[in-house]
Formats: sequence, C-alpha cells, structure tokens
Amino acid sequence: MNIFSIKTLLSIFFFACLFLTLALSFLNYEIPPWLWCVDFGGLLVFFSYYTVKKRMLAYVFKRILGALFTLFIIATVTFVLLRTLPGGPFDQEKTLPPEIKANIEAKYHLDRPLLYQYGYYLSGLIQGDMGESYKYIGRNISSIMAETLPVSIQLGVYALILSYLLGIPFGVLAASRQNTWADRTLMVGAISGVSLPSFLVAPLLILFFCFYLDWFETALWEGPSYYILPLLVLGTRPVSFIARLTRASVLEVIQSDYVRTAKAKGLHHWTVLYKHVLKNSFLPVLTFSGPLIAGILTGSFIVEHIFAIPGMAKHLVNSVTNRDYPLILGATLIYSTVLIFSNLVVDLLYSHFDPRIRLS
Amino acid sequence: MFYYLNIILLCLGLSLTSCFKKKQSEQDNLPLQDTLRFNISTEPPTLDWSKATDTTSSLIVDNIMDGLLDYDSSKGSLELKSALAEKWSSTPDNKTWTFTIRKNIKWNDGKEFEASHVLDGWERLLNPKTASEYAYFLYPIKNARAYSEGKLKDFSKVGVSVNEQGQLVVELEEGKSYFPYFVTHTSTYPIRKDIIKIHGDSWTDPKNIVTLGAYNLKVWEHDKRIILERNTNYYNQAAKIKNILIHIIAESGTALNLFEKGRLDAIQGLPSRELPVLRKRKEYRSHPILATYYYGINVKQKPFDDVRVRKAFNMAIDRKQITDLLKGDQIPLTGWVPKNLLGYDTSLGFKFNPEKARELMDEAGYKDRSAFPRVVISYNTHEDHKRVAEKVQAQLKKHLGIQVELSNEEWKTYLQSLKTGRQQIYRMGWVADYPDPDNFMTLMTSYSENNHTNWGSGRYDSLVEEAGVLSDEKERMKLYIEAQKVLVEEEVPVIPIYSSQSHWLISDRVAVFPLNIMGKVSFKKVQLR
Repeated sequence: MNIFSIKTLLSIFFFACLFLTLALSFLNYEIPPWLWCVDFGGLLVFFSYYTVKKRMLAYVFKRILGALFTLFIIATVTFVLLRTLPGGPFDQEKTLPPEIKANIEAKYHLDRPLLYQYGYYLSGLIQGDMGESYKYIGRNISSIMAETLPVSIQLGVYALILSYLLGIPFGVLAASRQNTWADRTLMVGAISGVSLPSFLVAPLLILFFCFYLDWFETALWEGPSYYILPLLVLGTRPVSFIARLTRASVLEVIQSDYVRTAKAKGLHHWTVLYKHVLKNSFLPVLTFSGPLIAGILTGSFIVEHIFAIPGMAKHLVNSVTNRDYPLILGATLIYSTVLIFSNLVVDLLYSHFDPRIRLS
Repeated sequence: MFYYLNIILLCLGLSLTSCFKKKQSEQDNLPLQDTLRFNISTEPPTLDWSKATDTTSSLIVDNIMDGLLDYDSSKGSLELKSALAEKWSSTPDNKTWTFTIRKNIKWNDGKEFEASHVLDGWERLLNPKTASEYAYFLYPIKNARAYSEGKLKDFSKVGVSVNEQGQLVVELEEGKSYFPYFVTHTSTYPIRKDIIKIHGDSWTDPKNIVTLGAYNLKVWEHDKRIILERNTNYYNQAAKIKNILIHIIAESGTALNLFEKGRLDAIQGLPSRELPVLRKRKEYRSHPILATYYYGINVKQKPFDDVRVRKAFNMAIDRKQITDLLKGDQIPLTGWVPKNLLGYDTSLGFKFNPEKARELMDEAGYKDRSAFPRVVISYNTHEDHKRVAEKVQAQLKKHLGIQVELSNEEWKTYLQSLKTGRQQIYRMGWVADYPDPDNFMTLMTSYSENNHTNWGSGRYDSLVEEAGVLSDEKERMKLYIEAQKVLVEEEVPVIPIYSSQSHWLISDRVAVFPLNIMGKVSFKKVQLR
C-alpha cells in the first residue's frame, strides 16, 4: 500500500477528523463548523464511494424508497393506535369546563373528524412539519427533537464505541482461552452485564464511584466527569452482548478447515485470529448492530432519568403518559428513521465482511 | 509504517484540542456565594403565563412576574398585600372591585407599566384563540364566560375597564368576597401584547421575554436548566441573591444525590420511601400546604346508595395510622377544608369508631358480612396511593370484616374511568388554586365537573354560594361549617383522609427560605449565609 496516495491520505485525514470531533465533544469543547462539514461530507463520500464500488446504488435507492413507505405505515399505525388509548391529552386532575376544552380542541383541530386530522398531520409531515406539542405549549416537535436528539446521540456514540472496543476483544479472548479462568470470568461478567437491569447498575456505580471514591459527578450533563457513569451504564449491556456473540462465533469459525490450514502453515495463534477468524466471526455481531445502534443512539429512558440527561428518550416514554399525540408520533418517527437507516448500513456492510453476499 | 503514522496523527489530533475553544456555559460565571441552586422536576411546559397551568411553570413565572396583588407569606394564613396594585376596594356587595395601579413601575425593557397591560392579559386569557386552560379563572367577571365561549366578540362588553384615574375597575356577575385572590394567580398577570405580536410563540425565549418581577429570565436551556438573574430595576425590595440556578431533574433520588454532594442548596419533593430516614436530618423541613387527599364514594352504586354504609366506611378508617405510615407529617383530616384555611375544624366529621361502624353495617342489613357486595377501591398507579389503599383495605377487613378489592390504572386511563362513573370508591386529591375555602367547597357542589360521586345536594350548593358572597369572616365560617356538616356528617359521599405537607431539604448555606401554604417559592426572599 502506498501511504502517499491521495486516497490513503484523505482517509487518514478523515479518520483523524472524526476522532478529533469525538475527543472535542467528550472534553466539552466547541466543535467548529468546518469539522462537522468534514465529518458529514466524509461520511457521505465514503458511503457513496462504497455503494458505487460495490454496485449497490440501485439497491440503496430501492431501500430508501422502501424506508419512506415503512415510515408512512408507521405514522399511520401509530396515529390510529394513539386514538384508541383511553384518556385524552387535556384530561387532568382538575376537569376543564366544556367550553374551554372546546377552545383547546379547536386550536389543535381535535374537534375535526379523525380522517381530517390524519390528512392534516400527513400534509404537515410531507412539508417537514411535525406539528406543535400539546404539553410543551408553543414548541414545535422538530425543535424539541433538535434539542434533545443530539444529546442522546452524543452519549450513544460514546457507548457504542465502548461496546465494540471492549466487547470484541473480550469475546475473542474468551474464545481463544476457552474453558480457562479468563473465559469463565469474562463470561460470568457478560452474563451479569446482560441480566442486571440498568436501574440497578446505575445506583451501584453512583454509590461506588461518586460516594466512596468521589471520582465522578452523580448526575447532570456538563462535561467529561459527567459523561463517564452514564456511558458505563448504557454500555454495560451491549459490551456483554457483543462479547458473548463474538465468543460464540469465533469458536465456530476456529473449527473451520481454512483456520486449520492457516495453523498448519505455522502462523502465529494471534495472527490466525486476527487475519482469518475475526473478519468472518464478525457477521453475527454485525446483524445485532442494527437494532443496537438505533436503540443506543436514541437514548435510554432509565439512564437519562437517573442521570438527569436532557436527551430524547424521556419523550418516547413521557409523551405517551401525557397523551401528547404529535410528540409521540414525532419521537416514534425519529426512532424508526434511525432504526431503518442503521439496518441499511449494516446490510451494506455485510458484503464488506463476506464478499459472497451480494446485494442487488 | 501506516499504523505508526495513524498513531502520530491521533496524538496530533489530541494536542490540537488545545487550539479549540472550551464550551462556555453561563453556569461557569455564577459565583457560588451569590447563587442559589435549586431543582424542578420537569421542564416547564411553557413560561407564557396566559397558558401555563402547572406548578413548575408557575414557580418560574411567579419569580419573573408580579400580579396586581401578592400573598403576605409572613403570616400562616396567607393574607393579601399590594403588588402592582397599590390599593384595592370593593362595593359593599362585593360586586365591583377597584384596583389602584402603583406608579413608576417599569418593565425590564424600560417601558412604563399601565393598567391597560392587565386588560391585555385578561383579554388574551379569555380569548378563545389563546385556548387557555385557566380562562375560567376570570369567569366570575361579567360577560367573561360569553367572551371565552366566543359568543361575545366585543371585549369592551366584558366587565373590566380602566377608568379616568387609571384605575382598573372589575365588575362581577355576582358578589365574591374572595375575588382579590384571583389576581394573585399567574394566569391573571399583565402581559405585553406588543412583544407577543413581534415574536409569536417564541416570545418566552430569554432574549425576547419582557417581564417586571424580581428576577429576569437569563437562560432557559430546555430540559436542562434555567438561570434567573436579579432585576436591578425592580419596583419593590430587590432580591437578596443575584443568581438562581435551577436544574431540571426528574428523579427525586437524583436530586437527593446532588444535594448530598453539595450541588444543590434546596430540594423539594423528596422520595417518599426515604422520608423515615430523611426526616431525622437537620436539613429536613416540612410545611403544610393547601392540598387534601380523599376518597370519593359513588353514591349511585350499590351498596353505597345507603348512607349508613358510607358512614360505616368513614368510621372504620383510622386516618392517624395512614399518616403514620406515610411519615410525612401529613395531618389526618375528617372535615373537608384543610388546615390553615377558614372553616378548618378538627371536630367535624367522624372520628375513628369501629364499634359504631359495625353497628351501622348491621343496621344497613349486612349482619352477614359475606352478603356484602363486591367493592373495589380504585386509584391511579403510584407507590404512595398503593400504600394508602392497602392500609385502608386492611382496616376495612379488620374493623368491618369486609374484603375490598384494589384496582389501579394509569393516570389518563383513570381520569377517563372517573368520567364514565364506573368507580365505586376512588382516590383523588385537590390542590388549592387560591387560599380560600371556597376553592375546596365548590369542588363538591352538584354542578362541579370535579365531583365524581354522583352526589348533589341543593342545600349544600346554596350554603356554599351564600358563603362566597359574604365578607364577614365569622358569618362565612358559620356557613362553611354547616356545609361541611352536610358533606362529611350527614350525606358523606366522601372520605377525607389527610391534609398534605410539602417536604424539603434545605442546606446550611441557606439562611432564610420561606415556605408557605400555597407551596409557592419566592426566591427574592431567600437569603444565603
């Protein structure tokens, strides 16, 4: 490989920028606009280049069309389901006089037939307007999402990086040292990580790191020392899951013929693992990554609740309790979009890890 | 080679961070000795006081705005004192009220405050287009209801005007002695229509909002924090502390952690499970508030169509045991009006009397308790309501020999069920909108939307209405006691349980932190050591 080729230099620059963005955001520095441009531009270029090279452009196009249709179905089903919920957005402890309720319903078009409301909502949606929240009076759903989603994504990205950075090595280590103390310790840890709920892990970590050791802050969202605990709590489950998945699939791949051949050639144990086993055993982890990425990027209600993080997950839950129809729809659509998109990326990556898979 | 290069580049990237600007947060510039750190449990739904209805929004609005009148919180039972209005008076029938506006008050954009700003606020509150939930606050005013319903288009026909002397004159539909309390409420505060016209819905953003209270809204980061800063041109005594930093923290346990770590100076709404431990601390304070907790009985449903059964249930419940269980200093309540209000009387209602209760049950024809129909107590899903309901269930079992069932529903579903009248016994609470017994008494009138008992009494209604007009406290008190007797001794469609308390932890840094029965927090009176 010629390290001075334009392509290599560009990708080095791009990854350096990505890393810089991450570091800056973690250390609570302002991220200059040019850096955002490089990041997003780079991702877009990388994505397009990859799709074109793999001749998957038509496939991606088809998938995006399909995604739009899926979103339409989700919006419709959610819309209908919401109206079947007992209790309305303006029911409260102190019952409103009927004429006041009528004024409010008229304001939000709730006095119109359901079909009209549906049409009104969809036409707004097509123009990119998700409507106005019932609970947060006068605030647009888009602006609520624009303020809370980046926080969830910020935390989510840290947690994701942690998950892969720890999960995969743990899994490989456990597999290559199968049935030793290392394997057992790691797998007991992983099982606890999967099964312990975050509302238990969080207070335990707070107690230990904040009250005994006094290392980190107990809650709020203001800088690196505030980020670490939520990140650990959010990361516990995916780290464990990935470790277990990796271990299982590495064990399977290790037994295949080509690995035996590689070993017979006299290659070093770790070289075999790194060069021949890892790439092939990554497929199950990749499959799991789609929903994982979507779930983590849109935040966790419990983590955000316990650490008082101004993220978007609470709207996914509280909007339902408040019967805030536009906010429920908005949050659902955002979540679905992230989910559909991360699944698409995962599907595209398949053909990188296993060239036998051709998407068309 | 490639890998080394990568690592070098990464290190370079790291060192580059020194060239970047650290995020400047307003909070970093707040000197601790001049800042009070406080928490609220939710993002305020709005700071537009014509539309706000919840306590969180009111807490902020109350500190950045003033009304015509204010409460004098130095006294236990909140008395009125002047604020934007210097003086107020009424005709003897309490039908026409005149408010004299104080001179030389300036909004924080420099404009002089006028009586017309109050008028603008009330017009906006009543306007059907504003769709304000609290529009009904002004319904006592002549023609206000018609205007709010959209039947009357001309606001000048509504009974409120500014006379030649610049006084605000309010004409009511019928006399109400407690009307001045209404103008202490956030929804009736004056507004600046010109500002709202320019900015639309975003007029409540810190950069747009124009207020005249003790504090200015400096920062409002949604879902995260609010910073208030002292208004140096405040017309009244200026606030003692310069900055108020308010974190938005949904979980009470989280707020408690931050308090323990010295990151908050005062927290409200302590986790109820922790009260037995927290109440032993020196920072703990509890204060009665004007709120009640009660069970309503649907009198249309068997066996509660028989007043003897209702009385028996009332006598079989030992309120003291319930408040002991909650350990939050709640006050057992057998009458209807909570402590600190006119008409509160501990002798009202039925004392705990299991023998008498059993007798009443026998009289009602349930000598054989197994013949007693199935009874369900409903409550909205919440830990504390569950604890109370279980205690009541145990008491009824022990003292009456009846096995009642418990049923809980999610809040909005519960409200829906209440409307359909399916419930037999339901849990409810009431928090005062204004510190007058009328607010609690009208709740159980036959025409009240909040009376889900299906019970109504013409005598009760007329007693409550009559009392509302009177100015003489003794006369009023007499009528309210008589009305309460109808409610909790004769007809008993309700089981009052307790009168509530607010719970606080207030750190040693804080020298003065006034608490009051309306649960209002007035930052301008808070002092640090």
